[in-house]
Amino acid sequence: METILKKERLSEWVAQIGARATVFAPAFADGIWNFCAVAADTKVEFDHGNTVRPAKGFVFPQREVLYRFRQESGKAPELMETLPAAAPTVVFGVRPCDGRAMVRNDKVFTCGFNDPYYQARRDQVVFVGLACSEPPSQNCFCLSVGGSPHSEDGLDVLMTELDGRYHVKAITAKGREIVEGAAALLDKAQAADGKAAAKAHADADKHPQRALATMEKVAAGLKEHFDSPKWDELARACIGCGACTYLCPSCHCFDINDEITSNVPLTGERVRTWDNCQFPDFTMHSSGHNPRHDTGARLRQRVSHKLLYFVENHNIQQCTGCGRCISHCPVGIDIVRVATEVSGQ
Amino acid sequence: MNANVYLPALARIAGIEEETRGARAIKTFRIEFPEGGGFDHECGQCAMLSLFGKGEVMISIASAPAVKEYKQFSIMKSGRVTTALHDLDVGDVIGIRGPYGNQFPLDQWKGRNLIFVGGGVGLAPIWPVIQTAVANADDFGSITVFYGARSSSDIMYKADFEELARKAIVQLSVDGAEDGWKGYTGFVPANLMDKAPSPDNAIAITCGPPIMIKFVIQNLQKLGFADEQIYTTIENKMKCGVGKCGRCNVGKDYVCVKGPVYSWAELKTLPQEY
Ligand code: SF4
Ligand code: SF4
Ligand code: FES
Repeated sequence: METILKKERLSEWVAQIGARATVFAPAFADGIWNFCAVAADTKVEFDHGNTVRPAKGFVFPQREVLYRFRQESGKAPELMETLPAAAPTVVFGVRPCDGRAMVRNDKVFTCGFNDPYYQARRDQVVFVGLACSEPPSQNCFCLSVGGSPHSEDGLDVLMTELDGRYHVKAITAKGREIVEGAAALLDKAQAADGKAAAKAHADADKHPQRALATMEKVAAGLKEHFDSPKWDELARACIGCGACTYLCPSCHCFDINDEITSNVPLTGERVRTWDNCQFPDFTMHSSGHNPRHDTGARLRQRVSHKLLYFVENHNIQQCTGCGRCISHCPVGIDIVRVATEVSGQ
Repeated sequence: MNANVYLPALARIAGIEEETRGARAIKTFRIEFPEGGGFDHECGQCAMLSLFGKGEVMISIASAPAVKEYKQFSIMKSGRVTTALHDLDVGDVIGIRGPYGNQFPLDQWKGRNLIFVGGGVGLAPIWPVIQTAVANADDFGSITVFYGARSSSDIMYKADFEELARKAIVQLSVDGAEDGWKGYTGFVPANLMDKAPSPDNAIAITCGPPIMIKFVIQNLQKLGFADEQIYTTIENKMKCGVGKCGRCNVGKDYVCVKGPVYSWAELKTLPQEY
């Protein structure tokens, strides 16, 4: 379902949705672009590149209480499940790389054992994507990892900026609901609008991006060069801060810990928080043995997970080419360069 | 089990056996579920044990699948949670979720001679296989169990070994010389070479400290065992147990789901990063 929204009516549409759901849109706050809750009277404009934080937090928050526990001394513990009572949420301005990352996150959290915390949030969130008219960052490489500046994967709606208006395409049932619900604001797209959107997409594809060899070549190269000395060389500067994975839209690793609020009676919460493969204790056994004992092994894990292991398991790359891990690494470690140099491709 | 994969069931400690003493003591816990609770498991599978306020730890289930009334776990005091578990008493209630992981393909081993090679607390993951094989001895050829510990006081399941010796060939070893010791003196891989079991129609299953496994596999190869005839288990740090938290992988495999049981033929196709 394709419609047209005049630019000056964007805030109205957002406000209308805001009456029924919590709305987030990119906003410039504290010196960075991020998804921020939109208040009723906020004027919404899309002039962001990409948000610093990815959209994954809407379905996989940084900190999630799994359940609470309580135990009187000498008695059996009691557990109180705390599944999130997720409210309807609509997120505007999601870039296609974050949409595609959601497809990857779905594979992790809903295949095999279903993760009820993720599922509860995922069911309630609508992702309204915004096609990139030009790469928002000099580190973008979505075209090299099977995506595009206008990919619809993982999005519920895709908006494309045209002259004075947006082409608004509903992709999923959830997307159709918010588009149909605003019939007074959104006009049916004409053939010319469809053509204009297609041209905008084709133009966007022509902008130069960083480049990586094909999925098959990179995967084969990484597999062959697992023992390459380049891993250590390229990882030497890594300070293990974890920015690369925290900011990645498809990194899903987490830790589970108990947080105690009282000792007698024992009360507390079992909490999951984002974790990071770049930390030494991520894999350290209680014996002290560590299968990934140095920065080289940990960089190899991050890059291979994205571009080899995920391909072996799901036949798609986990990286969607957003470039965040490159832009935000304090020491300039660059997944495109690392994958290219190690794989020899 | 619960629909919520992270929410453990509550179960009672019905018995505690002190297997070995010292800084890295081993205790065997017998866990009983309330009426109608619990779950079935297969040989080689693990369960996540929970101590509220401390955390969780993945432990292999040491009792045989045929035993339905309880599950047994032999736990070495090592990290935060296992240390706290060692302080518990009979009657205390803990959390448990599972079962997790794959299983030893006992069905495929019908008619074969089984050779088990265990060291230290590494006897626990293969103990249910030994028990199941012995209970169904007609299905298999000969059953041999090599087991070694640092000293005779570090041998697990002492009482059970007497029983086992009536049904299987038992080859015990201790690392250092001891007065009155009747078994082999030396490391497990050396005892294996000393007895030199034949690879003909055999399957070898080994579990123990990584260094022991490495030399046992080398020695099995020297004895003529093919990669497909050798099985072992992998241990990695785990948090979720369900293939999501991302830390237990060896290459593409999350050991909590795809492991812990691997034939050497499969394992050698994965990166040697464990
Ligand atoms: S690995 Fe880097 S470029 Fe790829 S999706 Fe994650 S943050 Fe973006
Ligand atoms: S952002 Fe850079 S320095 Fe920080 S952990 Fe990642 S690779 Fe290492
Ligand atoms: S323990 Fe979390 S992925 Fe295996």
